Amino acid sequence: MESGVLEAVKKSLISCLGETKVLWKKPDIVLYRKDTYRIKFDEDYKYLPDLVVLPETTAEVQEIVKVAAERRIPLIPKGGGSSRTGMLVPIHGGILVDTIKMNRVIEVSVPNLYVTVQPGVTLKELEEHLSEHNLALNQEQGSLRMATVGGSISTSGFSRKHQKYGTIADRVMSLEVVLADGRILRTGPKVLYTSTGYRLHQLFVGAEGTLGIITEATLRVEPLPEAKDAIVAFYKGFWEANEAAQRIMSSGVTFTGGEAYEGHDMSSYGAPPGLNGLFYVGFEGIKGEVEAEVEFVKKIVADTGGVLATHENASRFMGMYSEQWCGARTRTKSEDVLTTYVPMERMVEFYDILWNKIGKKYGISPLPGEKYGLDVGRYRIVAGRFFLPKGEGAYEKYQSALREIAELATGMGGSVSSCHGVGIQHKESIKLEYSEIALETMRAIKRTLDPDNIMNPGKKIDA
Amino acid sequence: MYAEILEESISPKGRNELIRAISKGIVEPDERALRIAFSCLLCRRDEFSCSAQLKNADVTESFRRYLLERGVPMLPEHDLLAKNLANYGNPWGESKSARKRWAKDFLTKRFVNGKTGTLFYVGCTFSLDRTLQESPRALASIMQKANEDFGLLLDDELCCGSTAKRIGAAALFDKVRKLNSEKIRATGTKRIVTACSGCFKTLKQDYGGLLNGIEILHSTEYIALMIEQGRLKLDELPKKVTYHDPCHLGRHAGVYDAPRWILSSIPRLKLIEMRNSREKSRCCGGGAGVKTAYPSISQKVAVKRIEEADKTGADMLVTTCPFCMQTLKSAAQESGSKIEVIELSVLIDRISHPKGGRK
Repeated sequence: MESGVLEAVKKSLISCLGETKVLWKKPDIVLYRKDTYRIKFDEDYKYLPDLVVLPETTAEVQEIVKVAAERRIPLIPKGGGSSRTGMLVPIHGGILVDTIKMNRVIEVSVPNLYVTVQPGVTLKELEEHLSEHNLALNQEQGSLRMATVGGSISTSGFSRKHQKYGTIADRVMSLEVVLADGRILRTGPKVLYTSTGYRLHQLFVGAEGTLGIITEATLRVEPLPEAKDAIVAFYKGFWEANEAAQRIMSSGVTFTGGEAYEGHDMSSYGAPPGLNGLFYVGFEGIKGEVEAEVEFVKKIVADTGGVLATHENASRFMGMYSEQWCGARTRTKSEDVLTTYVPMERMVEFYDILWNKIGKKYGISPLPGEKYGLDVGRYRIVAGRFFLPKGEGAYEKYQSALREIAELATGMGGSVSSCHGVGIQHKESIKLEYSEIALETMRAIKRTLDPDNIMNPGKKIDA
Repeated sequence: MYAEILEESISPKGRNELIRAISKGIVEPDERALRIAFSCLLCRRDEFSCSAQLKNADVTESFRRYLLERGVPMLPEHDLLAKNLANYGNPWGESKSARKRWAKDFLTKRFVNGKTGTLFYVGCTFSLDRTLQESPRALASIMQKANEDFGLLLDDELCCGSTAKRIGAAALFDKVRKLNSEKIRATGTKRIVTACSGCFKTLKQDYGGLLNGIEILHSTEYIALMIEQGRLKLDELPKKVTYHDPCHLGRHAGVYDAPRWILSSIPRLKLIEMRNSREKSRCCGGGAGVKTAYPSISQKVAVKRIEEADKTGADMLVTTCPFCMQTLKSAAQESGSKIEVIELSVLIDRISHPKGGRK
């Protein structure tokens, strides 16, 4: 932003928000240059926002948008900052709108089972708040301690409890959004089902801030369950654990969610030597129901040769879910993760090509214990964490590998990114997933809602 | 502090990003950077829930030192502390003789070099803050009841240097710890007892071997030992209490059990833990130069802790650190809490008596 314009915009924003909610000094804004996306190694400090604002109310967001719209300045809405695909990178500079101070729970409706919140409340804070009303949102994504409601909706995030409660996409009942011209859109009444208007709220699920800034969300919640349980079982390897996973998915038994993967040193959870495959399933409901489901799944584990972990070890394992999220990433320093959605019958083939062809060709290798993974249930994420290539041309190799993985997944009828969004990482690759008519329809929606392309420009889809 | 301000630049992530940017020459070190460096309580609470196992407190302390060494002027609030320490031998600008004001009943207990056994190291804040002087008197009284051969340095006592270290004044800290360790060594003592969690952590962990060979006990460890050895007897106390872990004593030095063991040794006392205790304990907000630089935020942090304590339904909030006492007492007053904030030595002195005797 040209310095004269920057000063004028800064002055306008300060007059709307007050000085403490507008940041421009370099020590304050340097961290807003990226999310957890692996930006090109030598461009780590290339993209800085010109200004960062910290609104607390819808009215303040409206003022910010009006200031930006007047001069066609890019706006980058931000939640917890856990995005993995670069959707928060200010590639065109502009104003980064950090919603982290918009963290109020506005209404908890016990009879109607919904909660209305500002977008900056984290999933963890919200669950804690709801538990005081004996309610739960049931959105357990790995980043739940830092991910906000607004960010989760905008990314269409995953939940470990997807099988029983769906993901955030299934929880959204109504949204308030500040549009690119500063008008406030209410997408509809606070109801889960209606057959009247277009489902506008779903338009903003996974929109990555490209269509407007979510300032309020009403979400469906559920009563806390009477009983909870979990089964953790050890197998020789992933493919043996996968056998149990496939049987459960085709059995019709109810469970909250589960995962099969090839673990790494599971001995601390009581795994017998040599058994590195792991399979877990969670259950919630009324007591008798949970007991019956647990017994049913135990039989499947026995029939597929699994060794059950003790109840204590299973509880401990379930408790460390969010612990591994950012820790593993920071300790390994140079890794990325796949969240591809692949048809079940093509999973063996997918992994074979991934590690034996693409992996070898570009020098990407799985992290220990992260070679194979499957989210069990209707949300069939085939995942794996991998070390980035090293040496000369490493970044280009990394990008080429991502491209070939995208071609592989979409060629099988799957999806490039089932829960991490597109950002800048998969922007080219989503063209593999959608027809030109579908893409043009998306572009038309973008142009209608954001004709000047100021809402997170350069992300997800070209205007 | 991030939880209070909600600006990511002062979160551990923000600080780490800033450190990296400065080290790469992307951002110039300036006063704003120093303010960010000081927006950390060094409480280590985040480290115990950090799956990345980051050492944020150590890193932040080094960052402060680095910025000052790069020529960024010290924050005015901290400059005063450092000048006081250099000129008066304590961060609070009190005279040398003021250090013995609390001890008018214990003036005969001056440490005799080479003869007295245990050195009771009081520290600047307990000895100079008039609102806290009940604590050193209580601990001295407890030592008397336990028939301990102990002595005090009184107006000869020097600062441990904790404040200098936390505010990044590296050269000053080096000077202070050298002088203080020489003073302590000259006494010939083999055992130091201190009630100040900050002094305890500093003497034990930050002296780089200068006090090797001298046993350093926190008052909670000492009192527990006296009870265990039968040298101190406790009366009953039919109260509900909760215990606040000072960060320097708990997360920094790993002393969680001794205070709890003492409290559970008191007949009819019921100890109720707060929602966040031991490693997860919330900071009182008083540490690491934050109270001086950001008093209102420090107060907010303290009020949150008082709210947690109130939720237990306890009559008393027991802790054992002068800074925790200052901030929690003030927060209890501000929030209208009825809970009695009390230092552990004071509580024990009230209900203890020597072996074979009554108080």
